[in-house]
Amino acid sequence: MTIRPDDDRALEAALARLPRSVDPPRDLWPGIAARVEDRPGRSGLRWPWAAAAAVVLVVASSAITASLVRRAGTPVAAGPVAEAPVPGTASTAFGPGHTLDPAYDAARRNLVDELSRRIDRMPPSARQRLEANLGELRRASSEINGLLAERPGDPLLEELLLATYQDELAVLANASQITAAADLRAVADETEKRIPL
Amino acid sequence: MPAGRETRAEVAVRAADDASEFERARRREEERPLVEAAIRGSAAAFEALYRLHVGHVYGLCLRMTAHPATAEDCTQETFVQAWRSLPSFGYRSAFGTWLHRIAVNAVLAHGRRRREATGADRPIDEVVADTLADPSLGEDAAVIDLEEAIRRLPPGARDVLVLTGIYGYSHEEAAAMLGLAVGTCKSQLHRARRLLGERLALEEEP
Repeated sequence: MTIRPDDDRALEAALARLPRSVDPPRDLWPGIAARVEDRPGRSGLRWPWAAAAAVVLVVASSAITASLVRRAGTPVAAGPVAEAPVPGTASTAFGPGHTLDPAYDAARRNLVDELSRRIDRMPPSARQRLEANLGELRRASSEINGLLAERPGDPLLEELLLATYQDELAVLANASQITAAADLRAVADETEKRIPL
Repeated sequence: MPAGRETRAEVAVRAADDASEFERARRREEERPLVEAAIRGSAAAFEALYRLHVGHVYGLCLRMTAHPATAEDCTQETFVQAWRSLPSFGYRSAFGTWLHRIAVNAVLAHGRRRREATGADRPIDEVVADTLADPSLGEDAAVIDLEEAIRRLPPGARDVLVLTGIYGYSHEEAAAMLGLAVGTCKSQLHRARRLLGERLALEEEP
């Protein structure tokens, strides 16, 4: 083959003439078929992601628990439930063909429920900021999920999505912690009124 | 030949491209019912899609990995990933293009795992390829043909050359698939062309 080093057009033409299709030396279908027979629709999260998510979850849950114990010393009974749903509590997904680990999803729902019960007691400005932050994070995760549908398995998008979910969990956990602390202060104030020291 | 005039070979390539485009459009229409059936969960339809596309996917993986066994693994991974992701396939691109994106990700993920496993900053074959790119280092650089010359390119340059030169993706498309800046993609292509040109010219020397 004669192509001068500086002859880009000849090289381009030679490349374009190469066959795009190359048959594999053996039939690869049996190996694929063994893995595609039972599409569950949406498969579970691969373990490194589940593990990473679980770490965040444990940290978040522990922070809430530690806060409750530290401030009250005793478990706190749930106060009157004010149903004020946190806007945009859409279910989470992890790109096409994947959902988050069920344990992760359940814990996230718990945080969201806990926050829903208390969010109306937050100062309006704080509540507005919280809702804006959560809305932004959920818009981001929705957009990344959409991109993952076009580019399944894209490692950068997967990392970005996990980071977004982690941020959302951290925001939820912080908000729950703050509102729980406010509840405890209210209980303490009420107790002081009833039993003057 | 005046500058800008096409050679016969280039005219033939362009005519072949036009025919290929027609063929691709026809294929897209033919395969749409198969894609829809596979989305609904038909493994038989998905196997038919596999038969239609496996050559292109394996060709891409083989040229990007330069290793037949690895290319087989990446091809299988591509189709498994495609099956799982099919419910989200929204016809925003041709099915074949969508498969290629998955294949590129499979190849890149394989390369990353291999580097993590070996702890090497650079794949061994990149080092070898760079060594062979120096014509002063001996007769091994006299490679056999264009495919062989491509196989011996450093992986980064090879990826870009395969996607743009053989599979016809634009710089923007190739850069997006590889997670590179467009400028990096162009400089890698320039590097690949230079190395290929040197190698093929060397082959011609007596």
